Amino acid sequence: MTDTGNATAPHQNKVSLRGRMRKYPETGVLLGFMAVFLGFALAVPETFLSSNSISSILTSQAVPGIIAIGITLLMISGEFDLSVGSIMGVSSLVFLYTAVEGIHVLIAALFAITAGAAMGLTNGVLFITTGIPSFIITLGTMLVYRAFSLTAISGGRIVRYADYSSRNPTLDVSAWILIVCATGFCLFVAWIGHSSLRIAIRNVRNSLTFRSFLHASIWLSLYFALSSFVVATASLFSNRLFETISIDLFYILNGRILTEWIGGNYRMSILWWLLLTGLFGVLLINTRYGNAVFATGGNANAARAQGIDINRVRVTNFTLSGTLAAVAGIIQAARLKSVDPLRGEGMELEVIAAVVIGGTLLKGGYGSVVGSAIGTTLTGMLRTGLVLVGIPSNAFHGAMGAIMIAAVIINSFVSRRN
Amino acid sequence: MTVPNSREPLITLQRLSISFGHVLALREIDFYVSPGEVVALLGDNGAGKSTLAKILSGVITPDCGTIRFDGQNVSLTSPHHARQLGIETVYQDLALIPLMSIARNFFLARELCHNRGPFSFIDHQAMKQQTENALQDIGIKVKDVDEPVVSLSGGERQSIAIGRAVHFGSQLLILDEPTSALSIGETRKVLKYIDEARSRGLGVIFITHNLHHVFEVSDRITILHHGQIAGDFPCNQISLEETAEMIMGAPPPAHLL
Repeated sequence: MTDTGNATAPHQNKVSLRGRMRKYPETGVLLGFMAVFLGFALAVPETFLSSNSISSILTSQAVPGIIAIGITLLMISGEFDLSVGSIMGVSSLVFLYTAVEGIHVLIAALFAITAGAAMGLTNGVLFITTGIPSFIITLGTMLVYRAFSLTAISGGRIVRYADYSSRNPTLDVSAWILIVCATGFCLFVAWIGHSSLRIAIRNVRNSLTFRSFLHASIWLSLYFALSSFVVATASLFSNRLFETISIDLFYILNGRILTEWIGGNYRMSILWWLLLTGLFGVLLINTRYGNAVFATGGNANAARAQGIDINRVRVTNFTLSGTLAAVAGIIQAARLKSVDPLRGEGMELEVIAAVVIGGTLLKGGYGSVVGSAIGTTLTGMLRTGLVLVGIPSNAFHGAMGAIMIAAVIINSFVSRRN
Repeated sequence: MTVPNSREPLITLQRLSISFGHVLALREIDFYVSPGEVVALLGDNGAGKSTLAKILSGVITPDCGTIRFDGQNVSLTSPHHARQLGIETVYQDLALIPLMSIARNFFLARELCHNRGPFSFIDHQAMKQQTENALQDIGIKVKDVDEPVVSLSGGERQSIAIGRAVHFGSQLLILDEPTSALSIGETRKVLKYIDEARSRGLGVIFITHNLHHVFEVSDRITILHHGQIAGDFPCNQISLEETAEMIMGAPPPAHLL
């Protein structure tokens, strides 16, 4: 008896790479990311590790990164969306066209998001009513939506915000409203998190381990950040409570940040990308809906037999994919302040490649939003890094294709039986 | 048909019919299951066993006929509805999601959640704990409920699907060929789970091709032939050979008429 006990114990403690990858889809891409990062960092340290190149990688990847979130959800539920580039094009067009017409830019953004959601919903409804593979459906709508942009802007013209107005659109509110909103938002977050905070503190009291300590300190620092945010907002405007504050909306969407501290071209879009990745990451892992997404892609029949409305999951994901493409379009339009009829063309392939590199299975049932974010960053790193190393930029697509095939091979190893 | 007087059946089907296009898949089916009774549903391929199971689990809706469940007329409109009534089904191969963990599979579509303000998040800890306990209760051993189902053997998967059904199925358990892909040892276990479910007072419908398994655990045998009920006998009144003959279309043996 003691013999077998000794023999099996170490075996059970050892977690295989495959087991780890099955639990954490990000494992593979994280290793790839580190390898590519180290490679470039050793080859061209001065240029690659500069604030300029890091910021340009992150800033340029924020837009595909946001689209990748929607594609990830959709791909986990087993479907494809090739039309996201076209949806992004149409949405940016709706956004800038309505904005230059003098309609408030927040309402213009709402229009653009509605347009994106409607195009995504159309994809989803077409898919579930016809039963044609989503690859074909969205290949068709990709062309149709692109035609919207091409016919709306005739002759390859470019719509420029600067042609209509010399200053960025603003939201003008009294300072006290800002303070109330900031406080309200923080109270809301505090309300959502308070029982988690309580549990985390209780766990530390019960048993002080590294894990419980880490958990509690994350929650405590969140609460600290929230309260300092309120205090900072209040003190910033305390002496001019009734003054009107003009918020530059293009800045909020995609302005430069951190420039005075670390230089480079870091932009707000990176924060939006992180925020959305976090939100949808939590949605996917920690909600019923997320479970339904995995189940739908993993085994649609079993999901249906357990009472999951798989068609609703699919339509929702197509709509989310369209909506996020619109959000990405708005964020990019706020930076470029212009839109051309070919905006977003080719985006779909780059994004799908990044999502696959990020560990999501093409056939569904497995994947991660965080993995996609890493995959998107890896793609950007490759593009910038290859140029810095001196390889012609045209080789970039070849390198990306090779990495994608490698990722698919690694991922198929995960879904096979032991 | 004869209904035991002691207890009202858990579920009763009367004159149930369904056709797919021109094919009459089930014709005027009368069928019942009592609580704490294992009914074997037998028939050759295409006899309508799986169609009947799908109707009972809410996947498809019959064209006509009535279903009485627990003393009330019901129409099983969706799998979700059937599950709410306490009807659980284990299908031979579409039971689990391979790349999801055992605990997530166990609680699929009825996740335990805690509410945080207007949102509700999955309570992973509670789900793992309860999955472990529930599987242990019915004698299923797993190493780690956090493991994805893909890392388990066919028998382990089937036992988890059955464990889930026994755990949640408060009333009626439908097993559609649960042993078809299993080894002998694994089959033993599945038959033990069926016995366990009966002793808990569940009604069990057991669909299989293996008559030896039928005679081991069943109380009653219902035979379907070409979409009709060909016979309905207590297990101890009919022999294995007679049952096999009837499945292939022979008339009921003389001593049972």
